Amino acid sequence: MDGIKYKWMAPFSEHFRYRFHTGMVAWGAHRLTGIGIVIFIVVHIWSISHLGSGADSFNTVMALYNTPLFKVGEIILYGTILFHALNGLRIISVDFFGGARYHKKLFWGLMAVGVILFLIGVWTMLNRAIPMNV
Amino acid sequence: MEIVLQIRRFNPEKDKKPFWQPFRINADPTWKMLDCLMHIKNEMDGTLTFRKSCAHGICGSDAMKINGKSTLACQRLVRDYKAGKFVIEPLPGFPVIKDLVVDFDCFFDKLRKVLPWFINDDPAPADSERIQSPEQAEKILESVKCILCGSCTSSCPSAWMNADYLGPAALLKAYRFIADSRDRAAGERIRIVNDHDGAWRCHTIFNCVEACPKEINVTDHIARLRLEIFSRKI
Repeated sequence: MDGIKYKWMAPFSEHFRYRFHTGMVAWGAHRLTGIGIVIFIVVHIWSISHLGSGADSFNTVMALYNTPLFKVGEIILYGTILFHALNGLRIISVDFFGGARYHKKLFWGLMAVGVILFLIGVWTMLNRAIPMNV
Repeated sequence: MEIVLQIRRFNPEKDKKPFWQPFRINADPTWKMLDCLMHIKNEMDGTLTFRKSCAHGICGSDAMKINGKSTLACQRLVRDYKAGKFVIEPLPGFPVIKDLVVDFDCFFDKLRKVLPWFINDDPAPADSERIQSPEQAEKILESVKCILCGSCTSSCPSAWMNADYLGPAALLKAYRFIADSRDRAAGERIRIVNDHDGAWRCHTIFNCVEACPKEINVTDHIARLRLEIFSRKI
């Protein structure tokens, strides 16, 4: 029994020629955003850990987060978490509530909700700065 | 109309690796994709190798990847595809034997693992068959339509990555017998599919649902299988 020949090389060989359907796009994006959120949590714990070294140390890190680059990063992070959360609801529905029958409608419906929440969130974020020296 | 078919070819006796060969043919829009392949084999290149039997979507032997999607060549017409260009490959994730013929041994080995036969040692009623109510039959009505063509398992990224994953076809078959009111081996089958290479390896990607030529919602059946495992464990 030879089984399936390709392992990690798969995405670079024949399999990337497979047509992308809604479910596959949602799955791939869910994986990528999941990795993104794990990276964020590591950075988050690292920055919170500065609280142990005093107020100045923490404020230095927080000042870094007010730079334009991190502002953009914050918006990307918000979008990432929003997608992961909404698609997570879709996966729960598929697993527990028979959502497999209407998963495409569910996906695009939730994404529409996501776009609205994203715009509201971005608008809010751009109109306020992180309070300093609290 | 003139159409071009790019066919992935491989002869293990001659070729070191697979290559693309274009065929330009005059086909009627109502031709099946299988008719196009038969035309090439009969009129142009007799060495082109592929499986076929009934040619009417029942035997499931001519599953292949057409324009990036696993399907049955006898169930797709030329007019189903907008452009007159076709890319035809063997099923992904299976070892290629020659041209469009792939080795199904791994597929049937996995199928056998879920005990895909009726198990019931109780004696059958003397004067009738084993009766099912319409409600009991309804539960398995969709899953019995499977013709084991391999389109679903070949389209599944989880199966591409994990050689040991049972795959959608075997899990669907497991569901078909577990949900059958006349069968008595549900517990044993549940034990087999309750494994990280069983029902839990499905990541609800839905490629199997898109690929299934019998329009079976395989993912829904795998989800029901998981709920069944879940309810028995609690």
